Amino acid sequence: MRQIKRMLRMHKIFVAQELKRMMEYKGDFIVGIIGFLFAQCTNMLFLWIIFRQIPSLMGWTLNQVVFIYGFSLIPKGIDHLLFDNLWAIGHWTVRKGDFDKYLTRPVNTLFHVMVERLQIDALGELIMGIALICITLPSVAIQWSLLKILLIIAVIPFATLIYTGIKIATAAIAFWTKRSGNITFMFYMVNDFAKYPVSIYNNAVRFIITYIIPFAFTAYYPAEYILTGNNPLFNIGLTIVISLILMVIGIFVWNKGIRAYESAGS
Amino acid sequence: MIYVENLRKEFKKTIKEPGVLGSFKSLFHPKTEKIVAVNDISFNVPEGEILGFIGPNGAGKSTVIKMLTGILTPTSGKCTINGRNPNENRKSYVKEIGVVFGQRTQLWWDLPLRETYAVLKEIYEVPDDKYHKRMAFLNEILDLEKFITSPVRTLSLGQRMRADIAASLLHSPKVLFLDEPTIGLDVVVKDNIRNAVDYINKQEKTTVILTTHDLADIELLAKRIVMIDKGSNVFDGTISELKSKYGQIRELHFDTDTENVKDILSYKEHFDFNDEDITVETEGSSVKVRFNSEAVPVSDMLSYTLGKINIKDISVKDADIEEIIRRLYKQGV
Repeated sequence: MRQIKRMLRMHKIFVAQELKRMMEYKGDFIVGIIGFLFAQCTNMLFLWIIFRQIPSLMGWTLNQVVFIYGFSLIPKGIDHLLFDNLWAIGHWTVRKGDFDKYLTRPVNTLFHVMVERLQIDALGELIMGIALICITLPSVAIQWSLLKILLIIAVIPFATLIYTGIKIATAAIAFWTKRSGNITFMFYMVNDFAKYPVSIYNNAVRFIITYIIPFAFTAYYPAEYILTGNNPLFNIGLTIVISLILMVIGIFVWNKGIRAYESAGS
Repeated sequence: MIYVENLRKEFKKTIKEPGVLGSFKSLFHPKTEKIVAVNDISFNVPEGEILGFIGPNGAGKSTVIKMLTGILTPTSGKCTINGRNPNENRKSYVKEIGVVFGQRTQLWWDLPLRETYAVLKEIYEVPDDKYHKRMAFLNEILDLEKFITSPVRTLSLGQRMRADIAASLLHSPKVLFLDEPTIGLDVVVKDNIRNAVDYINKQEKTTVILTTHDLADIELLAKRIVMIDKGSNVFDGTISELKSKYGQIRELHFDTDTENVKDILSYKEHFDFNDEDITVETEGSSVKVRFNSEAVPVSDMLSYTLGKINIKDISVKDADIEEIIRRLYKQGV
């Protein structure tokens, strides 16, 4: 309990530091937000152009597809906002030996790395995701129930942890290879598939994004439950189980990696 | 306080053949080579001592420091600091140590320096009243006041190093590891840092391990030195022991217009020197004779030399610590 309290306090302090840091570089911050909103708008424009030609996709209406797309941005955006610093591990922190500093501090290294940075650009994704959900919500005819609302609230953090777990495990590869940013990137690219209904893909792709790199659980499966109420055990339950498995794998690889860490000459 | 026993660290290195093709080859058939960075190093440091830890570049100093601070896991051997093993229960271990790597900084780069201390206060769970007292104290010995509100990126190297040392001392560690804390600094800042380390050591009985290439740091701060080379212990003892062990070397410098001095003087045959006790170097008209003054007294060498050849200018030099260490580094003993 004390441990959790201390972690929350540390998190608060790191976030405060990050906000101060952003205020040091206000111009960069503002341009970053504008840039991200702009990028998301072009994405939407692209979707809209496609769906003007095809009014429905394997039984999904345009509004439903946009809803799934919007939902996919929420876990992705939360992970991006809070835990983006993991990218730095795979790109340069380990390679340059800067990881030393985490090991000389009395804080869990993984926790320290994860919460050290705040990626405000991610607000662009979150704003866009929420906007798309709000716009499409009236026209997708969802059957609401209290249980459903609770499950939706519960599933979002777990869907986020799918991203985080994959990022931890792939970033930690850098402890052996010195550099793993491209591995993380490769995994990340798969998540583009997860923004659309999996039913549009062939079996191989469907199998990969469900069971191998399970990004489909960050968006499509939970969103399918929200839209149709089908299969809560699979759509929600498995999301939770998979996210926990990935986090356990991530933490395991990380802890193994620390013992293999070689620092850099100085 | 610090016990290091048979510490060893091996790294695996992939050998790459040159060129793009070679890189591809090593991608599929990687050849690895074992590199022993630290090979069987042992030493102890009693509580409250400042130990000078020296050795040429690449000797393995930083690797040892990184094992002692829990950054690297030793391949074999043991180190116990404060009764603890750095690789077990790392979090509670590092609370009792302070670490400064002169080549890196642990300060928050983009924020005013003050913010770094505010965060470290939380990280090390220093209570408010202690924190204020400690900051006042560190400010006094390291003179941080002038730049504590400046962003770290704008600090000069000297300011940054003082700030880093203050950061490592904020939580009143029992052991302080300083890896090249005076690298690249001017004389005034060096003095300031040496005084601060000395003061902390005397006031708080902080045990200090100091690596440096500036032997003045060692002479002013450390009573004892451990020297390593190629990953192994070379010398372990006090500075006076070092001087008496290797310090009987004297240097005779003179200018002469006599030709073939080496043949005329033939010190080795005349005094029956052992090979390692005498070296003669000539460069134009100037001659440098390095000899063991225990084998032959300086006065005998002088009178013999003066009687044999025509000398313009002559001087005898004590081998200072720098010279001793230069010799040790060169020979590797």
